[in-house]
Amino acid sequence: MDKELDKLIIDDTEYLTEVPEHCRKPFEGPGDPSEIKAFIPGTIVEIKVSEGDSIEAGAILLLLDAMKMHNEICSSKDGLIGKIHVSVGDSVKKNQLLINLIIPG
Amino acid sequence: MSIIMKSVNDFLTRLSSKLKGGGDKAIEKQKKKGKNTARERVEDLLLDEGSFLEIDLFVEHSVKDFGMDRKELAGDGVITGYGEVHSRPVAVFAQDFTVAGGSLGRAHSKKIVKVMDGAADAGIPLIGINDSGGARIQEGVESLCGYGEIFYRNTKLSGVVPQLSVILGPCAGGAVYSPALTDFVFVVDKISNMFITGPQVIKTVLGEDITQEELGGAMTHVSITGNAHFYAKSETEAFNTLKKLLSFLPANSGETPPVRKSIPPDQPLGDDVIPDNRRQAYCVKEIIRGIVDASDFLEVHKNFAANMVVGFARLAGKPIGIVANQPRVLAGVLDVNASDKAARFIRFCDCFNIPLLTLVDTPGYLPGADQEHAGVIRHGAKILYAYSEATVPKMTVIMRKAYGGAYIAMCSRHLGATFVASWPCGEIAVMGPEGAANIIFRREIAAAENPEEFRQEMIREYEEKFANPYVAANKGYVDTIIRASMTRETLIKVLSRTGQSRKGHPHGNIPL
Repeated sequence: MDKELDKLIIDDTEYLTEVPEHCRKPFEGPGDPSEIKAFIPGTIVEIKVSEGDSIEAGAILLLLDAMKMHNEICSSKDGLIGKIHVSVGDSVKKNQLLINLIIPG
Repeated sequence: MSIIMKSVNDFLTRLSSKLKGGGDKAIEKQKKKGKNTARERVEDLLLDEGSFLEIDLFVEHSVKDFGMDRKELAGDGVITGYGEVHSRPVAVFAQDFTVAGGSLGRAHSKKIVKVMDGAADAGIPLIGINDSGGARIQEGVESLCGYGEIFYRNTKLSGVVPQLSVILGPCAGGAVYSPALTDFVFVVDKISNMFITGPQVIKTVLGEDITQEELGGAMTHVSITGNAHFYAKSETEAFNTLKKLLSFLPANSGETPPVRKSIPPDQPLGDDVIPDNRRQAYCVKEIIRGIVDASDFLEVHKNFAANMVVGFARLAGKPIGIVANQPRVLAGVLDVNASDKAARFIRFCDCFNIPLLTLVDTPGYLPGADQEHAGVIRHGAKILYAYSEATVPKMTVIMRKAYGGAYIAMCSRHLGATFVASWPCGEIAVMGPEGAANIIFRREIAAAENPEEFRQEMIREYEEKFANPYVAANKGYVDTIIRASMTRETLIKVLSRTGQSRKGHPHGNIPL
């Protein structure tokens, strides 16, 4: 009972109470479309583009082996392939940056 | 020797071989893991001494493939039968890990199914002790059929007889769904493990590293997932808690729970048990202990969604189910997990004629994108559904804050409460005075010479007008206003008038 209490604001009133760790995470909005990230941990099996390639929205950039599936990682925007951060055979973690996309405009 | 005595001797030899389960070596291995054998669990830890009536000990499998025809599996890896807990009958099955890893084959599942049907016929609680490596691969689809038939019966028995599961070993893959369909799940530190896909699978498929304990150990399931309701340090402790839980429950949905002698609480409530300042936290379990018989409260889901407290206690000897906001954690808000936790508990109590007592002190719902995106609308609706559906006596005590939608949800008169009382410091309002004043007097505050001073004045005005129980009592939404010290006495009067039983239709207790 002697633990330091946190502050929680509801309808402009500040309450002194415990706020468990899992309730403290800030909201993560939709990601930056210029950063192509792994949505799931896995292994890179094929990279279908090279740095400098011009691609259209929906283009398959690479294949990620996870959950017994070759998952197609696509671009949501038109653009140019910037830096490619991974090679075939790499194990990647969830949310790891794979490719930078240069989006014109 | 007479023919009869020869047959008796022959029987005794067969019996002693069957009773040994998987044999000395396997038993030694089981012991090394700090585990009791299935037979010890049933006969020594769970049931009253000498009360076990075993059935199907001589059942054998009929599998021929993969060399199984040469394998004799005692009881096919599960012990089943009937017995008594504190002189009340129960049905029980216990998987025996020493026999082929407790793997579930066709004969094994048929034994479980038989004892489940027996529990339904007799109208008595079913207790399952899980300790199994999973499906018996050699039996293929027959093993899957076994699981399916058990799930089917778990569902049909739901809300008819209490079903309790004790996880005392691995319980992986499809096997987890039998316990998940039952009413209460018990886990033991370092012994219980539950997951759909084990750590091995995660590593090979996803490249993630996680220990078995982190993924599906006892603490994980009582705190993070909420899959388990009771955590124990030892098997003995788990069974003792299970027996205590049974003492609150009727044998089936057609009976009322067993009544005991009334014992007053150790520390009765005074009138000033909660802090003056509405922003200050306190532990609602102290309030509960000040109301119930012998201050004895069996908390369910203690480590999960701690902003809501649920559990069993007695009032004048009669079992009740308590649902209470916990101002100590997250100010006692409602959120996704608290809603699921309360709703399932309410529905369990309604299944088994256990009257409900709701203690209210909540500022509302937890704000934020996290909650909205987790579906707080869909989950919050479950509390409304569960309370509105319930037809056992529903008693509500508003201790302090009862704001907005959370006031409605916490068993208000509007959801069909049988009896609603408020303490004099109750505040039944759309929201707290600060928020309300800021909205109602927004323009006036902005235009005021000294906005902060004016704001404080308006907060005080709102407080005086609305932050009290009298407006709701004037309308009859609150039946009575009582001092905290009169709470126990008042609730006992209500219970003696309303009886205990559900008045509405029977229903199952779907996992929420």
